[in-house]
Amino acid sequence: MTSADLVSAAPLGLRSADEVMRLERLGSLHATRLSFVRSLVRQMARQRWQVSRVRFDLDAEGHGTAIYRLQTPHGRYHGVMFAQPLDDARRSDRVIAEAWDVTFGLVEGDVDDSLLAQMAANVPLQEAGRQHPRVLVLSRANKSLRNFAHFAEALARGEQPDPAWLTRVGYLYRTTAVYGNGKFGIADFARLLDNPDFRRPFSAQMAGVYLLRHFSIEQVEHLAACRSPDTACRLATELRRYLGIGNSTGLGMAPFLINHPQLIAQWVTQRETALTLALRQAPEEAERERLIALTRRAMQHLDETVTEDAEQAERNAATVAALPDVLTWLASVPLEADIWQQLVEWSARTLPLEAQELINTLLIELYPDQVDALEDRMGVAENLDLEPDMPLMRLRQLIETHYGWALAHDYASREGAYWFWYRSAEKEEPRLGVRHAEPGAEKEMPIAIGPRVARTHQALCDFLERHPRATVVDFLLEHPRHKEVVRRIQTLVREPYGDIHANLWHRDMKPMHLLRTKLSFFGASRFDPKSDRWVRITLFQGAPLVEELNAEPQDLADFDDWSFPLEPARAGEAGSIHGRTGVAAQ
Amino acid sequence: MIVSYNELQGLCRKAFSGIGFEDGDAADAADMVAWMQCHGLHGVEQLNRGLDYLLEEDPEARPRLIYQDGDLAVLDGQGHSVLRSISLATELGFAKARARGLSVVKIRRCHNRQLIMGYLSRLAGRGMNITAFWRNAQMPLTEQVVAFRAGHATPEVRVYSVRDVPEENEPNDGITLVMANHVELLPSLGADHDLDLLAHHPESELLACRQLALKEGIEVDDAIWARLKTLAHRILVESSDASRGGAGAGDHDND
Repeated sequence: MTSADLVSAAPLGLRSADEVMRLERLGSLHATRLSFVRSLVRQMARQRWQVSRVRFDLDAEGHGTAIYRLQTPHGRYHGVMFAQPLDDARRSDRVIAEAWDVTFGLVEGDVDDSLLAQMAANVPLQEAGRQHPRVLVLSRANKSLRNFAHFAEALARGEQPDPAWLTRVGYLYRTTAVYGNGKFGIADFARLLDNPDFRRPFSAQMAGVYLLRHFSIEQVEHLAACRSPDTACRLATELRRYLGIGNSTGLGMAPFLINHPQLIAQWVTQRETALTLALRQAPEEAERERLIALTRRAMQHLDETVTEDAEQAERNAATVAALPDVLTWLASVPLEADIWQQLVEWSARTLPLEAQELINTLLIELYPDQVDALEDRMGVAENLDLEPDMPLMRLRQLIETHYGWALAHDYASREGAYWFWYRSAEKEEPRLGVRHAEPGAEKEMPIAIGPRVARTHQALCDFLERHPRATVVDFLLEHPRHKEVVRRIQTLVREPYGDIHANLWHRDMKPMHLLRTKLSFFGASRFDPKSDRWVRITLFQGAPLVEELNAEPQDLADFDDWSFPLEPARAGEAGSIHGRTGVAAQ
Repeated sequence: MIVSYNELQGLCRKAFSGIGFEDGDAADAADMVAWMQCHGLHGVEQLNRGLDYLLEEDPEARPRLIYQDGDLAVLDGQGHSVLRSISLATELGFAKARARGLSVVKIRRCHNRQLIMGYLSRLAGRGMNITAFWRNAQMPLTEQVVAFRAGHATPEVRVYSVRDVPEENEPNDGITLVMANHVELLPSLGADHDLDLLAHHPESELLACRQLALKEGIEVDDAIWARLKTLAHRILVESSDASRGGAGAGDHDND
């Protein structure tokens, strides 16, 4: 029995849902070693995945088609990239955009001429195209114009770009949607459930993004070489590694979180299980030193992180300001068997939420042997099933025990019912409207679970007065509109990390927390909110490179150690990046 | 056109919401249609045939309980499609079978009956043996029987005609559901009866259909797809310059 099995057999000690599922705490989560980008990189290294370039037909402006082959022990896939000119007036990160700098797909199997022609005609259209059922992932990305121009110019001159540019914005491209699971005709996720390469949630999407990262490096090097074949150099390894892929995300993540509660419960359960496993370890001095080193690295990473958003900047600064105390605590407290438990109890009393969750992330980082098996438990069969024979009184008790948070809000007040969520006719973009001021509330998306639970609770209490011995199905035959909420409650009382404990209608609700919740499980870093409901983040910054993967690394632990990446030293500094580190790109 | 399972399910869900289905009913109805379609049982065509009726139905009218005791229930489907809220009638049978070992539920006056298979699949997956029976036509008299083994989400389906039609042959626009907690109820046709087997879909054949649908996508008629899209559009809020700000992002990102 593995450590993870032991915990699931005796799940005592996991934090309560009332603590973990509070929106403010979820909005303070950091990526962990169980995040999807980390799991994917480990899997690729462990199984010796190989990436090769099979086509690179780009013109001097970098426009054209590139194809990368991804070979695993079980299968072969291709990342097919279409880079095209884009008028600045059309460059938008929003889902309502209709053209992008790069569009791409990850395909299962080989790409023959006929499939390539089909993709060339449809992938650049994204949502407006009809995609092939062998396409696993469909995505698009826009350039960071400033970074792209700076990198191309510097490399063309034979110089390395200033790493500070990547600290400000950690990528050359940011994706604006990464579609999987059957969207616009691509393959259903159900088809991947028997596929050992991509059966984990979002792993195919992350693989597509990883290939885009490699393409972005090769494209900018190609551009520099075309501009100045005599002087151009390749990007230094430290900078390549420090280059990630951005993602620009809006409110679309919110409906996903609410509409997949069992999946979210599964993700949070694995993270909480990992934390519990870490807390149970009695550390040696080496682990304490490792935690101190990780804390220092995270502190520097957050200190370097740039955001124009005042609130996020303040949260980063508060975390950075708190961490010296953590270092002092770690250095001074006797190394007792329950020291990690003492640490989290102390941090809960004294540190801001983001710092508390950072400590949790770092504790999980310490114990790969104990926690990494949990990455295979991120998936779940989703079925909100009714228990029709449950006594209605029992359901009432369950609501009052597990959904106290939902019953505690006032949904009748103007403040408590301020927002409504809806989909716009403009490409179905999710938006927020002010209930008493904007049209469309009658078409509200029912993603605020709190008011629905409260309504159902009221209706079943009234029913019980007249029918005290009723079952759930008796109630629902009279009041069928409560079916969805009832089966959600009945299911999620067994999976208590499924519902977010917040009133998503409330004026003070922060949508950004919802976005960060999901992005943290993806493995996002550098949270850079652009408004209260729109954020840019970075994926794979610091991750090993394709050439390092292809070299079949021996030290897998070292290969996996890329969280909280730091800015490489500038030219002329110790350990600096020099120009002309390689031959000019082809 | 070729669509994915998730796409079909998603569009149906939005279309049913557009028609005015409650949230849970829209999800169940979409599952029923997509389930039928991916098992090669023409769910979209069935839906299309009943769509005009659905649009005319009173959304407040729901199956009415006429009689029930511990093991038995009779409901009036009020002439509506099984898509809107028949799930609760089947859940009633499920609850009774769990309590008493075996239940019989008769749902009178309903149409689109084939589509109920998609929901019964979920009940079977929850550990219930189920047999559903109905008559499809009076002349010639045809009968359909659908049977799920407990724990198996895919049934065995038989359709046959009865040559020796009984004198008393009233129109049958209902469904009879038999559920058993512990006993398998499989449709083995009696050799002594004067029957013509018109169709037989064993579990393995339906599963193979599903596999193929996931691999190659699902063929759907363009006109029906367009109609579902129009219905789905009803749940969307028209865009305006003001609402564009409701997503909280700028329009151009040239930084």
